Amino acid sequence: MRRWILMLTLNQQLALGAVALGAIAIFAVPYPGSTVTLDAREFALVIGREADHVDAPELASWIIESRADYRLIDLRGEAEFAQYHIPAAINVPMANLTEAGFGRQEKLVFYSDDGVRAAQAWMLLKARGYKGVYMLKGGLDEWKDQVVFPVVADNPTPDERMRDERARSVSAFFGGQPRSASAVAAGAPGLAMPTVSALSKVAAPASPTGGAKPATKKREGC
Amino acid sequence: MNPYLAGIGLGLVLLASFVLVGRGLGASGAFNSVIAWAVDAVAPAHARNNEFLAGYLGDGSASTLKSWLVFEVIGVFAGAMLSGLLAGRTKVMTEKGPRVSVRARLAMAFAGGMLMAFGAALARGCTSGQALTGGALLNLGSWAFMMMVFAGAYAVAYFVRWQWR
Amino acid sequence: MMAPFFKYGMFGDETSLVVAFLIGIGFGFFLERAGFGSARKLMAQFYLTDLAVFKVMFTAIVTAMLGLTYLAWMGWLDLSLVYLVPTYLAPQVVGGLILGVGFVTGGYCPGTSVAATATGRVDGLVSVLGILVGTFAFAELFPFVKGFYLSGAGEAMTMPRAFGVPYGLVVFAVVLMALAGFYGAGLLEKRLAAGSGE
Repeated sequence: MRRWILMLTLNQQLALGAVALGAIAIFAVPYPGSTVTLDAREFALVIGREADHVDAPELASWIIESRADYRLIDLRGEAEFAQYHIPAAINVPMANLTEAGFGRQEKLVFYSDDGVRAAQAWMLLKARGYKGVYMLKGGLDEWKDQVVFPVVADNPTPDERMRDERARSVSAFFGGQPRSASAVAAGAPGLAMPTVSALSKVAAPASPTGGAKPATKKREGC
Repeated sequence: MNPYLAGIGLGLVLLASFVLVGRGLGASGAFNSVIAWAVDAVAPAHARNNEFLAGYLGDGSASTLKSWLVFEVIGVFAGAMLSGLLAGRTKVMTEKGPRVSVRARLAMAFAGGMLMAFGAALARGCTSGQALTGGALLNLGSWAFMMMVFAGAYAVAYFVRWQWR
Repeated sequence: MMAPFFKYGMFGDETSLVVAFLIGIGFGFFLERAGFGSARKLMAQFYLTDLAVFKVMFTAIVTAMLGLTYLAWMGWLDLSLVYLVPTYLAPQVVGGLILGVGFVTGGYCPGTSVAATATGRVDGLVSVLGILVGTFAFAELFPFVKGFYLSGAGEAMTMPRAFGVPYGLVVFAVVLMALAGFYGAGLLEKRLAAGSGE
């Protein structure tokens, strides 16, 4: 068999190779479609190291510092987004996540009302190879409780006083106000979220790669 | 070089492009960028207003010439120069038939270039970008384009054959 | 390791421009190796005396196509991240015709005109100038052609999806068609050479 192949001209050998490769390719499935692969161990490691989420106070400090190395994504609907959203967030409903054109190494922080949606989005994108995904721990609920309406002690110790001062200024930045610990313990009703317009001075961080903003990108083509 | 071997070489370069950058080759797009840049340099408002050129200008954060295709085409020039020098095929001359004047041949080359610019702009690509790249990707529009290129060329070849007499 | 590397963030925009240059070198190198820096060689295709254009083009397509198919099949390349030019059927058909006419008139296609210029061909350089002027003319005339330019707009469509045929089957069909074409091209060249007594 081998001798016969060697007796062919180069062109004929190439043709034979092409036919063989082409025939095997009949069974190829090049577009896996919606199938994703998960590395269970990697997942467990990331979750164990708590590298999957960002705390509300941490996010707050990022926004105050005007950091531009991340994108904050609100997964809720348009109406809810219009009513209130964390400043610097963009609205990308769950269904449009993969089409939004995020880079796979970009730092993306998702949030939803309680964090369940955000966790699902995190998992979905992680499985599709997005390396920089994070969720806001506790979602908007935690954001409300820890950043916009933080609880401050009634009779603070010196340490608590420093902490409360910081919480006060952060909450003021976001248009909220602190709640006293005793009022919370007594079951005071929740406060209304500030309107979005009051927070318009905080702009969304500019995208590093230009994703989800195709209008400013140059034409890709040939 | 054996055309099949040259083809394999070309195919591997094309494949490398897909694997490294997620896009294929091209040529006409670079010309579009150059013209967009030139018009922008002379009359920026006019360039911005032109819907065709505006797409190549981007948002002004980077030079129009800093485009993937422009760099690729510069590479094409360099690679071809290298190959030509190695093979001794480099020569300042005009390709034409013995009984044709240089002027006539060059006029045809210019006219052909202009036609190709229109064709490539309409088709969103030329033989490099659409036929080779789209061909390998089994792109429907690219294969249709490719067949029409051959059709158009064969249809008119008879009428311009005098260039090679 | 997943390809396309750039789309997985393995290198940035600046590096991709360097990659573009290097890929371009490979492209230009093999174009000239095939002799496509010469209008005579290119045009021989359309006068049926030397069918290298067909051979080189389709060998390149088959090679890259098989490479893509296997890499994607093995899960090393995410094919959905590779840029596919959307289909605009009418402008692409008409554009193809016009380009074909321009090709055979001028003697070069856009890529080969650059290659020809690099090897000293004055007609290659003039072709490049013609393309630049033509592009400018197109841009100026764009308001008039815009309607047609945008007509037949579709999504990025592959032949397997369009015809509802499995991808691998189309790949095999293309390979067979190309090989049949190469065989036929060889016969044609021999017959015409014998006929004209060369």
